[in-house]
Amino acid sequence: MRMNLVLELLDVPGQLVSILEPISGLGANLVTVIHKRDAKNENGKIPVQLTLEGEKENLNRVVKKFDDLNITIVEKDGFINKEFVSTILIGHIVDNDVRDTTDKINALDGVFVVGFDIKLDGEEKSTALINLEVDYGKKQFAFDEIAKIADEKDLIMINEV
Amino acid sequence: MNECKIIIMGFGSVGQGIAQAISLKKAMIKEKYGVELKVVAAADSSTSAINQDGLEEMLLIHSKNSEGNLSAYPEYGSNISGLDVLDAVDYDLLMEATPTNITTAEPALGLTLKAFDQGKDVVTSNKGHLAIKFKEVTKAAEKNGVEFKYEASVGGAMPIINFARETLSSCGINSIVGILNGTTNYILSRMSSEGSPYDITLKESQELGIAETDPTADVEGIDAACKTVILANSVLGIDATYDDVTVEGISNITSEAIELAHKDGYLIKLIAEVSKDTLKVSPRLVKKGSGYDISGTLNMATIKTDLAGDVTVMGLGAGSLETASAMLTDVISILKIKY
Repeated sequence: MRMNLVLELLDVPGQLVSILEPISGLGANLVTVIHKRDAKNENGKIPVQLTLEGEKENLNRVVKKFDDLNITIVEKDGFINKEFVSTILIGHIVDNDVRDTTDKINALDGVFVVGFDIKLDGEEKSTALINLEVDYGKKQFAFDEIAKIADEKDLIMINEV
Repeated sequence: MNECKIIIMGFGSVGQGIAQAISLKKAMIKEKYGVELKVVAAADSSTSAINQDGLEEMLLIHSKNSEGNLSAYPEYGSNISGLDVLDAVDYDLLMEATPTNITTAEPALGLTLKAFDQGKDVVTSNKGHLAIKFKEVTKAAEKNGVEFKYEASVGGAMPIINFARETLSSCGINSIVGILNGTTNYILSRMSSEGSPYDITLKESQELGIAETDPTADVEGIDAACKTVILANSVLGIDATYDDVTVEGISNITSEAIELAHKDGYLIKLIAEVSKDTLKVSPRLVKKGSGYDISGTLNMATIKTDLAGDVTVMGLGAGSLETASAMLTDVISILKIKY
């Protein structure tokens, strides 16, 4: 069987060799490798596309080996890995159309609201914790875009470090 | 025996800490470095004590605390103040600990430039002149061929500027992210542990003397932003001033926000971020149990380097003797070079 992977490598010498070496050692064959050094992503890393062929068991061993080597797998057979992040909004969240806020966040590419917890303080400002599922590598994009929505609605946004 | 004649300008909490630290450590410094520290003048905002043959450090503190000003110092108390003190006595090194002024940078700026003109070394804990006119002040020191050290201006006793520049000198430094204000960290920690609202926690901090009567500089992020500018210039070589920093304080943080964060495994901290792309002070979510999870008035900073990976430092960000310790370390490093 075949497996398509997209990995992420640091832009330092020897990185590509270090991921290719375990492949044959674990009984898988390399079909294609696309390594574009000038296409850095937002983390300053280089995406590498691999197509591997071999027994399912061996391919899974390769994936496990990459995990052990702390190599980030961004995509596996077309499925993008997700990151879970949180943000807090403070302000007149309900008065500023809370439904519209979540709709706008959900409309962002690769960003989904998976949790929404709001606390109201009488007539005062309310506070909401929003849990997000974002496509790998889109965390900063999500925060930047939500900051714009928050700014429009005069809400304070507290992000993760 | 070499001698280093010192003027202490500013005799509040930090100035008194300097006097105490010198009193405690001068014997050690004499023995280890062969230099005798001698305080020849100390000045508060309107009075001073001046004696070319040296003043008693602990008597300076006693005079200030019993009478409210330094003119009460027996025999050598005077009404000379400000820039005139630098002309009233022969000295080698100015230890400048006047209050930070983020608008005019005075009196620190005038005192520091005058000392440089007189060919004297300066050690400071002040942030005002560094945040507004970093380049101008450091260039003036260079031009006059004098030493200018300011470790105490960021993080109090927590080593960061000298640490990043000297101990990590083999590394390129990409960013510094940390908690650089002890007062806000105390308030946020208390809100988190007690579930108390911001206003009440601030009031309690003021009663304990942790927050000042006018807490604006701390709670609105101004103090942390000054430190951000100092780190940007001194460690990352970014030509930035105070106006380049995006600043948001903690006064809008609700106890509900802290509670929601807590439920999700986070704490809210006032975080300063220093990098080529970002100069920012803002409340942020940090993971419980992470390096940012420090309570009370502690400061911390994670320095992201190219060779050494992440290096994190932590220490007391304020306090009289703690801040003075950083200044005395700066004095010793000058002694090592020049005496």
